Amino acid sequence: MTYRIGVDIGGTFTDLALINDSDGRVFTHKLLTTPDAPERAVVDGVRAILELTGGAISDVTDLVHGTTLVTNALIERRGCKVGMIVTKGFRDTLDMGRETRYDLYDLRLRFAQPLVERRARIEVDERIDHSGRVLRPLDAESIVKPLSEMVQRERLEAIAICLLHSYVDATHERQIAEVVRKHHPDLRVSLSGEGYPVIREFERWTTATLNAYVQPLVHRYLGSLESGLRTSGFEGRLLIMGSNGGTMNPATARRFPARLLESGPAAGILMSASVGRALGRPDVLGYDMGGTTAKGALIREGQPMKRYDLEVAHVHHFRRGSGLTMNVPVLDMIEIGAGGGSLASLDDRGMLQVGPRSAGAVPGPACYGRGGTTPALTDANLVLGYLDPGSFLGGRMKVDAGAAAAAIETGLARDLSATTTRAAWGIHEVVNENVARAFRVHASEHGVDVRRCTMVAFGGSGPLHAARVARKLKINQVVLPPAAGVMSALGLLISPLSFEVAMTRTTLWNDVDRQQWDEMFGILRQRAEEVLSEAGLSVTDMELHGRLDLRYAGQGYEVGVDVSLDRSSLQEVPARFDAAYASVFGITLADQQLEVVHWRLEARSPTGKQRPMQFASYSGQGEADKAPRKAFDGETGGYVEHRVLDRYRLAPGQTFEGPALVEEMESTTVVGSGVRGRVDQQHNLILEIL
Amino acid sequence: MSKVITDTITLGIHWDRLISIADEMMQALIRTAFSSTVRETHDCSTTLFDARGRAVAQATSAIPSFTGTAPITLAHMLKRYPAASLRPGDVLLTNDPWMGTGHMFDVSVMRPIFSGEKLVGYCMSVSHLPDVGGAGWSPETTEMYQEGLRLPVTKFFEAGVRNAWVVELVEGNVRVADQVIGDLMANVACTAVGERLLVEFMQESGLEDLGPIADAVLEHSEDAMRASLRQVAAGVHKHQIQIEGKAGPITLACTVQFKDGGVSVDYTGCDPAGPFGMNVPFCYTRAMTGYALKCLTLPSVPNNDGVMAPIEITAPENCIVNALPPAATAVRHSVGHALYPLLMGALARALPERVHAESGGGNMLNVRGEFKSRKHSQVFFCSGGYGALQGFDGHSTTPAPSNPRGMPVEIWEAQTGMLIESKVLLADSGGAGAARGGLGQRMRMRNESGSPVNVSCFSGRTEFLPQGYAGGAPGKARRYWINDEPVPSKKVYVLKPGDTLMTVEAGGGGFGQPSQRTSEQLLQDLREGFVTERGLVEDYGLTPAAAAELASHS
Repeated sequence: MTYRIGVDIGGTFTDLALINDSDGRVFTHKLLTTPDAPERAVVDGVRAILELTGGAISDVTDLVHGTTLVTNALIERRGCKVGMIVTKGFRDTLDMGRETRYDLYDLRLRFAQPLVERRARIEVDERIDHSGRVLRPLDAESIVKPLSEMVQRERLEAIAICLLHSYVDATHERQIAEVVRKHHPDLRVSLSGEGYPVIREFERWTTATLNAYVQPLVHRYLGSLESGLRTSGFEGRLLIMGSNGGTMNPATARRFPARLLESGPAAGILMSASVGRALGRPDVLGYDMGGTTAKGALIREGQPMKRYDLEVAHVHHFRRGSGLTMNVPVLDMIEIGAGGGSLASLDDRGMLQVGPRSAGAVPGPACYGRGGTTPALTDANLVLGYLDPGSFLGGRMKVDAGAAAAAIETGLARDLSATTTRAAWGIHEVVNENVARAFRVHASEHGVDVRRCTMVAFGGSGPLHAARVARKLKINQVVLPPAAGVMSALGLLISPLSFEVAMTRTTLWNDVDRQQWDEMFGILRQRAEEVLSEAGLSVTDMELHGRLDLRYAGQGYEVGVDVSLDRSSLQEVPARFDAAYASVFGITLADQQLEVVHWRLEARSPTGKQRPMQFASYSGQGEADKAPRKAFDGETGGYVEHRVLDRYRLAPGQTFEGPALVEEMESTTVVGSGVRGRVDQQHNLILEIL
Repeated sequence: MSKVITDTITLGIHWDRLISIADEMMQALIRTAFSSTVRETHDCSTTLFDARGRAVAQATSAIPSFTGTAPITLAHMLKRYPAASLRPGDVLLTNDPWMGTGHMFDVSVMRPIFSGEKLVGYCMSVSHLPDVGGAGWSPETTEMYQEGLRLPVTKFFEAGVRNAWVVELVEGNVRVADQVIGDLMANVACTAVGERLLVEFMQESGLEDLGPIADAVLEHSEDAMRASLRQVAAGVHKHQIQIEGKAGPITLACTVQFKDGGVSVDYTGCDPAGPFGMNVPFCYTRAMTGYALKCLTLPSVPNNDGVMAPIEITAPENCIVNALPPAATAVRHSVGHALYPLLMGALARALPERVHAESGGGNMLNVRGEFKSRKHSQVFFCSGGYGALQGFDGHSTTPAPSNPRGMPVEIWEAQTGMLIESKVLLADSGGAGAARGGLGQRMRMRNESGSPVNVSCFSGRTEFLPQGYAGGAPGKARRYWINDEPVPSKKVYVLKPGDTLMTVEAGGGGFGQPSQRTSEQLLQDLREGFVTERGLVEDYGLTPAAAAELASHS
């Protein structure tokens, strides 16, 4: 008997999922996050979920962990004091940023402050050019004195070494690192040319400073977690989820903590892809909506789409451009400020807007009775009858429908000259529109026809809105997997061990020969294999996936093309590029030369065939029908009786027609009129939008 | 199923949806365009109209040059080809500076939208073309005939069939014909996207006519704009500024009058149009005026005719901001952008909590050379400091009012073989004030490409400093050096291999008396190195002893 456990720490809850590898049975559990010492909820949760199953901790082989630690540390600026060593003449790059405004009408924009103060940066005399040629040699010892002064004066805990063109050659950075380590063995050191070095100094250096900024924090946290788990008898393997949907061992996580950004949502998307594959639906739109944000991700041919930069910790109304951009491989997600806590108000036009401002957990929506008076989306969903005040979070939380209605009435309906019901429906529908619009744009940016996708919806608020959003997108099938409230924890159970590396070498495609191909992928391969070998994966077991970012010479946008590493792939690249380009832009430009910019490689453990998960709590037995209740029907514009079904008791094969509400612990699925529901063998609830 | 606009909730949803259609059109255009100003600085715009030709939605990220220009362009087009004569699949275009956006580089492409056989609206895109023939993008022209191919309102597509003669005409008159035709086609494709999305939206929402939505959108916008203008005290405000011209300084003047829910702007007092490419057709003057006033009053309300309705703009014929054919207009923005600080200055006393002191602005260095046996022509952009606002320090190296994007050093060097030796913030370059102006920078570039390189240095703020408001001091001036010798602006220079170009980018103006800046703020400035001890004495009026005392705490 062996178990694997996924633990995902979110802002409010720590979610756990356990799979029994011998029979595929899955158990889930949720407990409050312990923000002062997050590892405590992990250790407690592991103990609790093992009690549910009657298993022993010694039987747990893998514990896969997703955490918002790094994201939160960045948002709350709780990292350490970082110093920076930078090429002479470029100390101010972090302050100058991109030299552009992200909004032309808002004259008081805010930009994210650099993670390193200007006075904690020193310059070093050295220079290499874009081809790697040394223009000014480095005298690494020359930094010893100014560095010691700075370390002492600024009480630094970590150093980021950031030199120009180190994506071509990081030798100078490594030489400096050696000197830093020799003289300051306690300092943690991050190199901008290590790990994921791509061209563009501002973003690469920002990534290196983040890495340095959170290294001590991550190191301490993983230390506490490891010792806490060891004390409770855990002898298995601890794996940490990364932003790219793969896991790494604690040593790698300590070295590249920037790669822990957004790891929780990535696991949820991975799970959506898996659900889609199991159902034979390779093109999926994953839709995750919780308390403050909604996220969408496109999955093509069973694989989530990726991107290689991530903007986080926005300081100005969630606006793109007001955060810090990191070079990390991530699953490509669109995020908008729409969730259960999103607040409704009238904008300058007098039009109803919902979000991005959120009520958060405190005071929360008006119905929480914690002092919130501004109506939130959850208040609207309560007034519309979609949520049952008696069984909020399975009855664990009391909510006040009267307070919700009063907030909508006084805070909104009067100003809109509308009834409370109309205003509540307005809030619900504005959110549906916002989500649909963001997804539509995201899909068209990637040249994906969203109508052909199946939607996989999850998160606390996703199921409430999924069918309606799908209708707006002309998607005709929505899948609501079981245990959708702990989707990320489930995703952790299926994530492979993985490490991604990249290099920038801009070369005309005609000049790329077999030798360069082998050399580039050889270097990348060696770097990735080294990391995964350390994590205990043998080289023969690794799957390697190559990718090139190419463009027409002279253009500004690159398009990614997947390649296999053997040389035969070399010939296929132009045709593949044309196909990929055409799918996004609708045309190809036959006469233009191609240019390769970035070379990327991911090494990962084989995914293999996964056994379907059997959810212990979904018995499919007993009377599923609960007392029906009146809820708002968007099609007819009035309250009508909705069937209310207990999701846990719906038997595989069962079908029903909307209007109906399907309730489970963490969420309720709204099945409007004109929607047909059925439950499949895996307890997925599948909605057909008629 | 037919629904009407019965309430504001539905209206809000429809309105936002129409804006998102314009946004999607714009995205389609940006992704497929060749012109680097479209790709990098989004020098393009898209607009949706109802069947009566009223603009209901413009793309969110359209830049100020296009505020409210499209409806006028559409009116010109419909005058030439009346609505009744249009058929499904028709696409019209023009690049006439006076009908479009003020210079020939921008082409306006319009498609009438049909639902079945019924004309239900129009959509239009505007984009900056890579080339239009003629003398290129420079102030050196003296009349428009030198500036390239001027296309009158023309049917580019007739009932879905491309007009081959137009293609030949364009190909015969521009430098990079395949790219220009590619860009024209990108516009055609983007209007096709607009048509599809609008028709889908109308069917989905049961709308047969956009008229009622347009009525409501325009009414709400105008009401909101008027309500916001009503908050400004009635009064007349005059202002005058000077900017660097091709042949001596140019004077710009305005009179702004607020009166119950409306505002009028008159440009009497501006210099006459001249024999250079900096003349501004009135459409561009109108756009920049609308932009500045919107920033000052109601920036969040989407652009449409309703927003512009309470704004009355006049300028004497043939003055530099109402230039008439055949005036040259290729770089009309270099004067047009100055209307923003002109209007801000006019309203500095009336709206002290909203105005934005003058900015150092950006430096567009057009660099032409050869590297790795490939000829190239690229723009290196680096920015001066942003002007301060009341209680708000200007950002360092942040452009306004135009908004290009800084060039990463690594990208620039890899593309051109030029070497950037340093790029540093310039202490004390931000205008002193209770709120400090943003810092400019010093950039030094060496020609390591192995071939001679042409660099056009045309940016202003070399003689006329970015002014501060309410007692704030001006930012420091822009300067150019070649091989460490100072050289004047408004010239093209040749850098031989090994030569260096150094620029100092102007700082932003300050806001409020420097003496009002708190010692905590000054201490922070010192700590960050944004102000030096000397700056404390010279710009903030501290005694040397007080400055030294403060410095000892930093």
